[in-house]
Amino acid sequence: METISKFFRSTVAGPFVAFLLVATIASLATPRFLMVQNLSNVSLQVATVAVVAIGATLVILTGGIDLSPGSTVALVTCTLAILVKNMGLPLPIGVLLVLLMGIILGIINGVLSTYGKIPSFIVTLATMSIYRGLAFLITNGTPIFSVSPALEPLFYGKFIGIPLPFYYVVILYSLGALFLRNTIPGRAIYAVGGNESAARLTGIAVNRSRMMAFVIAGLTAAIGGVLLAAWLNSGSPNYGAELGLQSIAAAVIGGASLAGGYGSMIATLFGALTVAIVQNGLNLLAVPASWQEITLGIVIVLAVGLDMWRGEMGRGLSRLFRQPAPK
Amino acid sequence: MSDLVKEQIMGESISAKVPLWEVRGIYKAFPGVQALNDVSMSIFPGEVHALVGENGSGKSTLAKCLAGVHQPDNGQILYQSQLVTIRNPLEARAHGVATIYQEFSLIPTLTVAENIYLGRYPISITGVIDWAAVRQGTRTILKQLSLTIDPDMVVKSLSVAEQQLVEIAKAISMESNLLIMDEPTAALGIVETEHLMELIRRLTSQNKAIIYISHRLDEVFQIADRVTILKDGKWVTTAPISQLKMSEMVHKMIGFDIEQHYPKERNTQPDTCLEVENLTTENGVNGVSFSIKVGEVFGLGGMLGSGRTEIARAIYGLDKIVSGNITLYGRPAKFHSPSQAVMAGVGMVPENRKSDGCFFNFEGPKNITISRLKELLRGPFLNLTIERNYGESYVKRMNIPATALERSVQFLSGGNQQKVIVARWLFSKARLLIMDEPTQGIDIGAKLEVYNVINELTASGISIILISSDFPELLAMSDRIGVVRDGHILHITDGHLMTEYQLIGMASGVGMDDDTERILAGAQ
Repeated sequence: METISKFFRSTVAGPFVAFLLVATIASLATPRFLMVQNLSNVSLQVATVAVVAIGATLVILTGGIDLSPGSTVALVTCTLAILVKNMGLPLPIGVLLVLLMGIILGIINGVLSTYGKIPSFIVTLATMSIYRGLAFLITNGTPIFSVSPALEPLFYGKFIGIPLPFYYVVILYSLGALFLRNTIPGRAIYAVGGNESAARLTGIAVNRSRMMAFVIAGLTAAIGGVLLAAWLNSGSPNYGAELGLQSIAAAVIGGASLAGGYGSMIATLFGALTVAIVQNGLNLLAVPASWQEITLGIVIVLAVGLDMWRGEMGRGLSRLFRQPAPK
Repeated sequence: MSDLVKEQIMGESISAKVPLWEVRGIYKAFPGVQALNDVSMSIFPGEVHALVGENGSGKSTLAKCLAGVHQPDNGQILYQSQLVTIRNPLEARAHGVATIYQEFSLIPTLTVAENIYLGRYPISITGVIDWAAVRQGTRTILKQLSLTIDPDMVVKSLSVAEQQLVEIAKAISMESNLLIMDEPTAALGIVETEHLMELIRRLTSQNKAIIYISHRLDEVFQIADRVTILKDGKWVTTAPISQLKMSEMVHKMIGFDIEQHYPKERNTQPDTCLEVENLTTENGVNGVSFSIKVGEVFGLGGMLGSGRTEIARAIYGLDKIVSGNITLYGRPAKFHSPSQAVMAGVGMVPENRKSDGCFFNFEGPKNITISRLKELLRGPFLNLTIERNYGESYVKRMNIPATALERSVQFLSGGNQQKVIVARWLFSKARLLIMDEPTQGIDIGAKLEVYNVINELTASGISIILISSDFPELLAMSDRIGVVRDGHILHITDGHLMTEYQLIGMASGVGMDDDTERILAGAQ
């Protein structure tokens, strides 16, 4: 009982309840939702958003915001397609190069917003435009299809009957959680977001922490880009348009505070699952895309509202499960 | 004529019997704490009613019930013997309650005049805001407080003391019959405090009532008519100030006797810890030289804005050093950033623990270990069990409530937050600690603990730079004192060789003129 009461007061409770709610609704609305084939589909659909949301969470934890990952994803798919299909580089080399590119794009965001002292919202608004513009530039605006036969298995492959993206998500989130909980730079990220001034006075290199968050965000966006390229075996400057905002949505549904300092990897994963299930459920019900967008918006408001009001509700719930304290 | 006089006397005698405001049997609980437990008090027109008690005793909560910020769970509030319900701050204001909060309620990006008239701007005939009236009104109010602040200044460009004074001016400018002042002097210097006291006397002569909340008992004795003492959310006593002695009051507040206000121990060792030679910085420090021995408390005494904080900032790597030399334990120590200072064994307990000290997104242990996370590394990873163990031992050692282990430090009292920050530097094994106003806004019991911590620190060989506006404290707790004015150290002497009188005289630069003498006479 004590554990349950503790859980309802913990920060993961909000996103978990949101996730449970949409999953329940989806399974009630259509019996197909819970079928193995569909759940496997969900894990495919959640993969890109979830991976990109890792970086989004880190940046938000420092009190910043990254609007650019959707454009990074587009630029990565195009670059990978050109490197592999047009220039004939081996796939592993191409993947390595685009991951490196993601890091560089993250460094650009980081340098401008920390050392350049431009608010991260403005910086990434600008680079969101620039990175996508570059994607159009290098492809002349035309998608590149059938990149490589070796690319698709990266996404559609299975290991012990389970699709590979499931493993990517589990591994990357485990690494992310380990980084945040159990390393000094991870702790520093929380400190910087919680109280920048206090962080500086306790000897934390504030700019370095912010840089690190942006660099990792660039890297995870690039990984998301590779996944998307493998999923569709193509590169296009139009890919990933919704990913930037969806990754932020996953983080905030997960209870991350845009002021910084609050949020966690597990919570963001529930947030990403919530986003994916909403889309998947509505797909199954053949709801038009416009309504999917509207529903997602409503879910964001509800989930974050739920978390805000949790103060009262959580107390009520935890009171239900708590044994009376000995006087 | 005689009728009028009679009426006035009648009126006064009636008003002396009927309380203006009264609270009866107030209860208020927050998660995990019963903040108010059956508290009653009455406030008469023209009286200064002091509300005293330790941090967490419920003073501010009681005031906030009257100000409409909190709604009592149970109990009654009466205005002129009529039962009233105050649902929000606007309703409180409509009933004539004005509040000066401990936390500022000013909007930093607006001007002084805009802030003072916020939400009630006078409208001219043409239907737009009458800015001339706003400025004029502001000037009149500021003049009442003997303030020379420009009404058109943007609030965030003012010093903390000036902001506090504007806060007071704003509350006074409202049509009110009850003024609640929650720690109004926490950020004020001696001269400003004296002006405030004069103003309070003028307000009470206009039959306004004042609830005065303060940790500074000397002020309470100076200004209050009656005192209500709270402890752990419960009413202890209400008495006219003339019937209470300081020691009695302290006893009732904390529940035990304090033998000594300043339990100073001298732990100075012969070796030198810090040596500052001819230090000049971009931020106004000008040719400062001094040295600190191991285990010594070196006090920096000066008025607000004298440069005492800037000297500390330069040592801590926050301000750019133009010329001069600093050595720490014989090694060059001109730091370019706080992280260099921290690595070399310097720590800082900042003046504003909320905005510069505490991490409210962390519980106690993470707040303590943050400046020396390397200690927790096992391989490349932080070991959270070890962190928890350290947290437990430091929380115990510093006498911090055990709830700090599980909950955010924002739920701790100011004194306990301060102890968490000191624990942080104990954990990081700092050898030189800069303490900027370490006892500001904390109660007597917690102050005493801070003094004992200072003794403990120096006994273990840690040197301390102490900055404090509380001059009796500074004189008593420092081994030596440097008097700072205009970014320069005028004089260095043993703490016990200097009187408060001399310190104020030198620090303010007025020498022994009438103003200083009057202030000192008033303070005694």
